[in-house]
Amino acid sequence: MLQFFEEHKKKIVIALAVLLAVLALFTGGRKLNATFAEDVLGFVVTPFQDLTTGIGSWVEDTISSAQNQADQAETIRNLEAEIERLKAENQRLSLYEEENKTLSELLRTAQRYPQYSSTGAAVIAKDPGNWYDTFVIDKGSSDGLESNMVIIASGGLVGKITETGHGYSKVMSILDSRSSVSAKSLRTGDLGVVKGDITLMDSGLCLMEYIDTEAEILVGDEIVTSHLSEIYPDGIPIGKVTDLQTDINGLTKYAIIEPYADLKHLETILVMDKSTAEEN
Amino acid sequence: MRQLFMALVVLVSFILQTTLLQYIEIRGILPNTAVILIVSYALLRGSTGGVIVGLCCGLLQDIFFGNGIGYYALLGVLTGYFAGRSHKNFYRENYIFPIIICAVATALYETVIFVTGFLLQGHTQILYFLVRMLLPECVYTAILTVPLYRLLFAVNEWLELKEKYKYRLF
Repeated sequence: MLQFFEEHKKKIVIALAVLLAVLALFTGGRKLNATFAEDVLGFVVTPFQDLTTGIGSWVEDTISSAQNQADQAETIRNLEAEIERLKAENQRLSLYEEENKTLSELLRTAQRYPQYSSTGAAVIAKDPGNWYDTFVIDKGSSDGLESNMVIIASGGLVGKITETGHGYSKVMSILDSRSSVSAKSLRTGDLGVVKGDITLMDSGLCLMEYIDTEAEILVGDEIVTSHLSEIYPDGIPIGKVTDLQTDINGLTKYAIIEPYADLKHLETILVMDKSTAEEN
Repeated sequence: MRQLFMALVVLVSFILQTTLLQYIEIRGILPNTAVILIVSYALLRGSTGGVIVGLCCGLLQDIFFGNGIGYYALLGVLTGYFAGRSHKNFYRENYIFPIIICAVATALYETVIFVTGFLLQGHTQILYFLVRMLLPECVYTAILTVPLYRLLFAVNEWLELKEKYKYRLF
């Protein structure tokens, strides 16, 4: 058999080639239904092909899904870190927003007194005792500050500088019982003196004393600094009247004032320089 | 070493009292950490140490918050001196004694401030002072004495141990 092949190798190859060529010529280019032989062959082979392909794709799927899971865990971690970062940033930004609000309020206050030059400063320390309401700000004589300069915050008057160092100044607020400010009612022009009081300091209020009994001050009136003071310029808002009482002597009244400035939570304040007004 | 350390303690205590400790106020009342510091040191080291610490604490407060120099310094020196006189009469490991001394010292300290700074200037709200300011401050200070005294006690113990080795002959 093998010998037969060996002997007629060339002829067989030629015959086979011719046969295949003829077959190709006849079958090529025509859409025919599979022949019986092809069908049989297909019947046997295709399930295996199916199976093999199935296994292949299953392996591929498994591998890729494992890969995916690892990827997803990584992604989740990344996202969580991102969320943390964004939260922190959000908090930082809302702090900035608060600060921005305070500062723009201060700027608006400063623009209300264009005749005076003003400097912003931060509160850095408060009186360690319970008696007085003084604090220290972070600017001093090196920034051109002097004692008796007026301190205002977003809402209104805060107090005055009592002493300046090179890089710090002491400020006495209007709640301090040693402080007194000549003031008047904006509506009626009645005069009085706004003083701090030890019993009201804790609640952030102060007194307006020496008001004439005939004065027509009412609850809700706006109190501003008067023209009589040498330290405080005329017309800086101080606060609102919340209560009115007659003194024991019956000759004068006193009012309880709620300051506009939030004196319990001061962070940034404005120092007004009165001397610049005279130059202009 | 000891001097350096105590200067540091006094400074840190002053800085904390004027900044961070402002947040632990209860209805406007702050504990008097300066008195705690002076009394504790005086009880641990005697009158001389108490006077020096009292002087430093008082001067700091005078410089940054006082009207002139000397008022708080004098108060601090007196507090340190009188607290230091009981140095020899008690066991420093005892906790009750420093608490009582601190409360009494705070009461006297604040009363002097009230009388000189308010009563003599015509602010006669004595009841308000006693009920709303003095009493809560004494209680608050006494409570805060416990951790602070413990801390200073430990620091002092450590310093004394170091000094003992330094002066040992052999």
